[in-house]
Amino acid sequence: MRFLVVDDSSTMRRIIINTLNKLGYQEIVEASNGREGIDKLAAADVDMVITDWNMPEMNGIDFIRALRGLDKTKDTPILMVTTNAAKDDIVEALRAGVNNYIVKPFTPDTFKEKIEAVTAR
Amino acid sequence: MTAKTQLIDQLAKATEEVFETMVFKKLTKGSPIEGDALRPRSNVVGLVGFGGSLSGLVAFYTTIDAAQEIAGSMLGMPAADVNGEMPDAIGEVTNMIAGGFRLKLAEKGETLAISIPSVTIGSDFYTKYASDVQRILCPFRMDENEICVELILTRN
Repeated sequence: MRFLVVDDSSTMRRIIINTLNKLGYQEIVEASNGREGIDKLAAADVDMVITDWNMPEMNGIDFIRALRGLDKTKDTPILMVTTNAAKDDIVEALRAGVNNYIVKPFTPDTFKEKIEAVTAR
Repeated sequence: MTAKTQLIDQLAKATEEVFETMVFKKLTKGSPIEGDALRPRSNVVGLVGFGGSLSGLVAFYTTIDAAQEIAGSMLGMPAADVNGEMPDAIGEVTNMIAGGFRLKLAEKGETLAISIPSVTIGSDFYTKYASDVQRILCPFRMDENEICVELILTRN
């Protein structure tokens, strides 16, 4: 399974990649904002996108809306990893087209559950 | 328990959760200290602002050595190998602490928005706030190091 991890924090990208590696996933592409994420997706096929919300250039919500407007990614599973975890935030992310939501801080078990929940759909 | 004590308690819990799950370090909480002239010993300060039904700042204080330890532990590398990653890691820790605090308050009906984090690194400096604020500091032991979180609340 191949992932695209989009986060402006290099620390958070490394933590997510380390977590995915621990769960047995090795094929991972990185991007530091939504715009770069779209460029990476044009060049590579991925099975799941994991994105932050607050990012420069193009934030996570605009990135998800853009992906849902593209034939190639309109059905690609998207997980959002963020500290924006109030009820209104979750509603906004779901409306934009996110499939599931991981609140920071998280454990590898939470990550595993959310990936499995999204892939089981 | 006063409102301020409850707030610092929520902030302390958010800090412990971040360290347990993302930094992989156990913290030992000290007694909160209230005061407007607090100057925790630190070379690294992370700040996240918040606004809404309450407004103010969440501050995270640490030394360079402890910050390197934190970044190394988060990234899965020895502290000595941490180089340019430390400011980003401390910003992310502060962001997660403030986010956890925001979530805990949301469960009690308080609606807050939080800012992006900023990190200041240096020596011989302290942070002064122009507004009339109340400050409550909570110290923790992390192995041999002391770290602190502070709640800075505007008086309104």
